[in-house]
Amino acid sequence: MTGTSFQPRRLATGGLIDRTRTHSFAFDGETLAGHPGDTLASALLANGKRLVGRSFKYHRPRGILTAGSEEPNALVELRAGAHREPNTRATTIELYDGLDAASQNRWPSLKLDLLAANQLFAPIFGAGFYYKTFMWPASFWEKVYEPAIRRAAGLGRAATEPDPDHYEKANAFCDVFVIGAGASGLAAALAAARSGARVILCEEDFRLGGRLLAERSEIGGRPAIEWVKAAEAELEALPNCRIMERTSVVGVYDGGTYAALERVNDHVPVPPAHEPRQRLWRIVAKRAVLTAGAIERPIVFGDNDRPGIMLAGAVRTYLNRFGVAPGRRAVVFADNDDAFRTAVDLLAAGVEVAALVDARKGSSASARDAAEKANARYLTGAVIQRVRGGQSVRGVEIRDQGGKIELLDCDLVAMSGGWSPTVHLTTHLNGKPKWDESLGALVPGALPPGMSVAGAASGQFGLASCLASGQSAGAEAARACGFAPSVHALPAASAASDETTASTPLWQVADGKGKAFVDFQNDVTVSDVKLAAREGFRIPEHLKRYTTLGMATDQGKTANANGAAVLARVTGRYVGAVGTTTFRPPFTPVAIAAFAGHHRGQDFRPARLAPSHGWAEEQGAHFVETGPWLRALYYPWEGEEPQATVNREVANVRDRVGVCDVSTLGKIDVQGKDAGIFLDRVYANTFSTLPVGRARYGLMLREDGFVLDDGTTARLKDDHYFMTTTTANAVRVMQHLEFCQQCLWPELDVQMVSVTEQWAQFAVAGPRARDVLQGVVDPAHDLANAAFPHLAAGEVTVCGGTPARLFRLSFSGELAYEVAVPARFGEAMMRAILEAGAPYGIAPYGTEALGVLRIEKGHPAGSELNGQTTAHDLGLGKLVSAKKDFIGRFMAARPALTDPARPSLVGLSPVDRDDRLRAGAHLLPKDEEAIAKNDQGYVTSIAFSPSLGHWLGLGLLVNGPERHGEIVRAYDPVRGGDVAVEICPPCFIDPEGERLRV
Amino acid sequence: MSRRPLYALSALAGIAVPGRFGKPDGEPGVVIAERQGLGLATVASRKGQDAALKAAVLQVYGVDLPESSRVAQGPAVIFVGYGPGQWLAVSESLADEALARDLSTRLAGLASISDQSGGRTVLRVSGPHARDVLAKGLPVDLDPRAFPLGSAATSVIGHMGVQLWQVDDTRSYDIAIFRSLSQSFWRWLTASSGEFGYEVSGQN
Amino acid sequence: MRIRCPYCGERALEEFTYRGDATVTRPKSLEPQAADAWVDYVYLRDNPDGHHREHWHHSAGCHAWLVVTRDMRSHEIVAVEFARKGEGP
Repeated sequence: MTGTSFQPRRLATGGLIDRTRTHSFAFDGETLAGHPGDTLASALLANGKRLVGRSFKYHRPRGILTAGSEEPNALVELRAGAHREPNTRATTIELYDGLDAASQNRWPSLKLDLLAANQLFAPIFGAGFYYKTFMWPASFWEKVYEPAIRRAAGLGRAATEPDPDHYEKANAFCDVFVIGAGASGLAAALAAARSGARVILCEEDFRLGGRLLAERSEIGGRPAIEWVKAAEAELEALPNCRIMERTSVVGVYDGGTYAALERVNDHVPVPPAHEPRQRLWRIVAKRAVLTAGAIERPIVFGDNDRPGIMLAGAVRTYLNRFGVAPGRRAVVFADNDDAFRTAVDLLAAGVEVAALVDARKGSSASARDAAEKANARYLTGAVIQRVRGGQSVRGVEIRDQGGKIELLDCDLVAMSGGWSPTVHLTTHLNGKPKWDESLGALVPGALPPGMSVAGAASGQFGLASCLASGQSAGAEAARACGFAPSVHALPAASAASDETTASTPLWQVADGKGKAFVDFQNDVTVSDVKLAAREGFRIPEHLKRYTTLGMATDQGKTANANGAAVLARVTGRYVGAVGTTTFRPPFTPVAIAAFAGHHRGQDFRPARLAPSHGWAEEQGAHFVETGPWLRALYYPWEGEEPQATVNREVANVRDRVGVCDVSTLGKIDVQGKDAGIFLDRVYANTFSTLPVGRARYGLMLREDGFVLDDGTTARLKDDHYFMTTTTANAVRVMQHLEFCQQCLWPELDVQMVSVTEQWAQFAVAGPRARDVLQGVVDPAHDLANAAFPHLAAGEVTVCGGTPARLFRLSFSGELAYEVAVPARFGEAMMRAILEAGAPYGIAPYGTEALGVLRIEKGHPAGSELNGQTTAHDLGLGKLVSAKKDFIGRFMAARPALTDPARPSLVGLSPVDRDDRLRAGAHLLPKDEEAIAKNDQGYVTSIAFSPSLGHWLGLGLLVNGPERHGEIVRAYDPVRGGDVAVEICPPCFIDPEGERLRV
Repeated sequence: MSRRPLYALSALAGIAVPGRFGKPDGEPGVVIAERQGLGLATVASRKGQDAALKAAVLQVYGVDLPESSRVAQGPAVIFVGYGPGQWLAVSESLADEALARDLSTRLAGLASISDQSGGRTVLRVSGPHARDVLAKGLPVDLDPRAFPLGSAATSVIGHMGVQLWQVDDTRSYDIAIFRSLSQSFWRWLTASSGEFGYEVSGQN
Repeated sequence: MRIRCPYCGERALEEFTYRGDATVTRPKSLEPQAADAWVDYVYLRDNPDGHHREHWHHSAGCHAWLVVTRDMRSHEIVAVEFARKGEGP
């Protein structure tokens, strides 16, 4: 957009904004204008908008306090509809054309907020009010109190539609990681990058320069911004340096790992097609230099939250960087020299300065000089005890050393209680910051391994010392990575900027009037801290939980230091001894979407697709997640109810023949001279005696004696076994076997590799299975019962020469085979089997029918192999060999694990055949009360059996095998079931196993 | 009945469609090609046969087996180290199952061989932004200082296991992924490539 | 956390799976009097204030089982070796 719109508070000249272009934006529906280079905050101030939001608890009018990411007040909802994002800080939002923002936490409007009536009830909203006020009756909490509180106290509204934008993650690696691109950071990056080290320089702002953008400093006799531009150009030209703007470093992790959030496209209305909105970086660095600067502290005095009261450094930022006058008549209130030079900058911008209110008792030459330059009164030993004005500052009550009160008209208060180094990232690995008495602030203590700190973040505030300490830290970091940085002469820095914060901290105006805020974002006042201390919450961590001081989106960046100081005063302690809360990641808020990145919706987690998946989709199969796999659940005919489909698929297997993709089973090639010995040691039963060309069911225990997994293993060659595991445990079993191989028995000649992906494997089950197989297996292979009996296994070819593995295994209890081909032939194999089976009435069946077939047959599966069952519990005690050592052997033999009174596998039939069984129902003696004492087990699996025409189940029951024929209760209080069931053997179909041997 | 030969199907059939996608203007930042028909097999050294296996592979395939996470190329077969005493053998000329058969015969008694030709999808990712795309998932430093030519890595991208090796010094990477995860991986790869513009090449 | 795998090089934590105490030894005896040794092996774990030897599996990398010596107070990794002796280059 071009053309100019009137911006009443915009200065005629100056600032790092592009005055040749205008951005149009809307705030609470009003159209306003700003320039490229503005933040939303600077553009609002340029338009004379000082009331920006309402506070969290009392709905007090709030303006803009800071010019950075520490902002507690100016939180807005940015964008609309699905793009709406609450709690974005106006001070960091880069202005773009068409920006749409709204104030939050007010009703019906920002200027007339009826919820401000909360202030009248301030006594009950004090510290701990949640815990005290809404105690009775207890049932009111969830239904009445909490919803009401949540409506009144809030921080904006999240969008209710799915986020339409794309987010992603990325990894980066470097030698030297420089965090913050102010004077120190640029000096550090230059020193490291010039040496050849790989450098990443991260800056949360959209411009490099830090405070240099906000101050009228000089470097080498020229405006500092020119030095910034030259440094940026040099770094950009170096191939070994990567500059990342709009990127906040939010976390420090072990091993030199850092998290950083890049706002790739937050500065445009909608991300360009194919581009992400934000990118969450994981940066791994050999060394890091923290040059994160410092955060200015407010002063605690009466009504210090009124719009128009700003940090002094922020006032200079708006004047110098953005060319905005945040007021017409200012008072500077501070306890340090640094802040008083704000007066000179104000005057230079044409803002009248009424007075410099210096809390220090003695007169400061530097402050007096600033006052003279600004034609302002200089009051020493004076404080502001209260602010006049509601939605904006109208004046201040100044109290001099003698206690005399004077009223001064003003619309801007620039305040400063000194600066606190931004130590947060030094504490993420449990480093404790330490108190520096000379600075009146916490400085970094023990640092994360590999990190050094320079500039203001280390408590060195002067520009010359920032440059020097930055350069030295950058060079040292490069040297530690094996590079040889050369020494470059530093340009001279202007003396004016070298004033350090000579602080004798005031912290708090004693005996002030009105509400004196310590934490603006959480509406925590001095009286809240006093109350908390009185009630015993005397350390900052407790104070935080009780009063919420230091919580929410800013985590007390402008509040914690003052909170500790006020707490020290009310508890009569030395402020340095009070300590601090622990700063944890993230340093600034990170959207959940950025943590998710690509992994949402369909890609929430990767899906493994079986080889016949595409074909199954064509058939209209319904799918189910089983572990990481998507498997066909059933294949409905048009208009068919799900239960009818499953019944049909089961019946087809029992009566004719069915085919099921079982490729998802874990498959492991176990090879080597000692493969048989190895399997003897990992299975409870014996495999070294298994003849080549045969398969066997195997049961694997954990070392504690409980069942780990089961499956079949075939011997293909003398030194080559082929193991299958359950789908769910495939990865775990492989890991377990590798532990056994590498850690327990490294002397064995055995090699394992997963071939799960290599083989597409299909179960062909039913009385006509052999007929079907004869249609696909090449004729050279004899499939007759004598030649290829139950549990036979071998390598064959199918469909004219494709290599395949054939196993005669049955999970259904019917005559059945499993045939495996290389996975790229999987889909074709499925079609070939169906074609060969068409004359015999073949139909595909899914996992639901598979489950019914195995329950009818009494085979334990996932619900029974639940990590709490033993071989004995599952009726598999006979399999457990007593002739050899194997994993779990000793512990499985413990009396408690073989106690017949343990719940063991039984079959369950409803006495009334119309009753439905429910998995999870408790098994109780028939006429006993439903109390825990009478609980004797539970139903593990249930199915409607089309073969029997009623529901049946498997369960684990105390003394189960001895109780066949007994009637018990299947009691299901959750779903209201109470069914009489008959205990029976778990196998309902063909208990002699004749069908699978024909 | 007639036994028609089985047709082979790429796991990306109908998905990896040739063409230009993502950012439409400028040279494509990334070129993606599926390498089909490769022979793939795992080779695991038998106990105590390390030296003999190394000698045999050098003699038969002209490759000095790498003993770390690296790739060594011979005239017909390349060997990618993926674990102590374990390699993924890759070949164009010994296609599909032929490679595993060849290895089983020539290295009998020295190594355990398993055919993997059906179990992996192999993609070649190249172009000026190949590394930028891979950085969006791969937690491994691909900078030439850390990952010089001949390097290989077994790692994860977006919770999906990958084997990756650098085939030449033109920022070109071969990535083997599990067949069953091909579609999930493809969605990650193309979403990550979009901002640079990418071309799906029909031929490898 | 990052672990320098002796085969793959330094890798991020997400590639590894933790198992635990690498100092315990599987008893050889199956005699009843070995019960205490088995209970020790299966259940009892020390939590030393300082260095500890732990089994980690490079599950998303080379599948090697590693013995990682880690400082339990700081997470500093002091040494990494193959669990299988004589493994590797």
